[in-house]
Amino acid sequence: MSERLLIIVVAVLASLVIGLGLFWHPDTAPTPVAVSPLPPGGDFTLQSADGPVTLGNSRGKLSLLYFGYTYCPDICPTTLTALTAGMVLLTPEERARLAVFFISVDPQRDTVDHLKTYVEFFDPGIVGVTGNPAEIAELATRYGVFYKAQPAEMAGAAYVVDHSAETFIVGPDTRLLARMAHGTPPDQVAALIRQYLNQP
Amino acid sequence: MKRLSFLFAALSLSTAAFAGAADDVVVHEPYVRLAPPNAQATGAFMVLRNTGSKDAKLVKADNPASRLTELHTHINDKGVMRMRQVPAIDVPAKGEAVLQPGGLHVMLIDMKAPLSEGQVVPITLTFDDGSSKQVDVKVVKMMSAAMPMKHGQH
Repeated sequence: MSERLLIIVVAVLASLVIGLGLFWHPDTAPTPVAVSPLPPGGDFTLQSADGPVTLGNSRGKLSLLYFGYTYCPDICPTTLTALTAGMVLLTPEERARLAVFFISVDPQRDTVDHLKTYVEFFDPGIVGVTGNPAEIAELATRYGVFYKAQPAEMAGAAYVVDHSAETFIVGPDTRLLARMAHGTPPDQVAALIRQYLNQP
Repeated sequence: MKRLSFLFAALSLSTAAFAGAADDVVVHEPYVRLAPPNAQATGAFMVLRNTGSKDAKLVKADNPASRLTELHTHINDKGVMRMRQVPAIDVPAKGEAVLQPGGLHVMLIDMKAPLSEGQVVPITLTFDDGSSKQVDVKVVKMMSAAMPMKHGQH
């Protein structure tokens, strides 16, 4: 009798294990932090609507950098929306220790005033910066950012810019700490910011 | 009852008269992303579901709020997002096409005026058989990357 019970128990357990193996597919989304070696990154001085901004003068703040352009209809707004939604999850103290920069890779079209209006739509704390094409190119190289204007195959004057869609997390000492992939959800954005805010 | 049968007759007549991709393709959860006031472009997203037995192709979109309307997609090339115009968006028979952030979208380019939240943009979708339909699409301020459409995981 007890042997029969044991067989039943074993059979039930075995079918559970097999069932789990067959039907349970845990979320295998790739980790949002890129694992390839980080580029050198480092300091910059660029122009904002409120004057020049130097990353190294962030007074002990952790910085997020995103390279984009305001003509960008989808990818940049998606990232900025996710970043903003992640920032909302932070405490005011944590938020006060964070600086967020939107760096335009389209200096021909994005003036500093235009940038300011654009980024403040997402969060008034985001600072839009740009520089001359040579400065932007040099900075992009240091952060491993690729961008290239593509002529639009149409009559309009619009051209689109292919660009890396990662967000960079930079320490108060301007050392590049991590990259966040495009599409990182707000809770993970907040968790990563916290992780690096609390890192000694 | 008489009225009902009249309705049925009218319905079957209208399908017979206008049968085409525009009738077969049903648009779900359409929205236009509210963009910053000075943005020159924004995207419209939706799910196109083909209830018919023939493959359909969306070949053109039009709207009165921007000077240009195009069909676009994004190619994620090792983290570099490359946005490209596409000639058509396939909506297979009994299948669907998902237009969502980071992928296929209707791009509204060169806005005539800034859009406001809740505003309705009539978007005309034209299919490869020449049939077309108008969809009234609301402008939505997106709160996070996953909103308002939780449709992404197909």
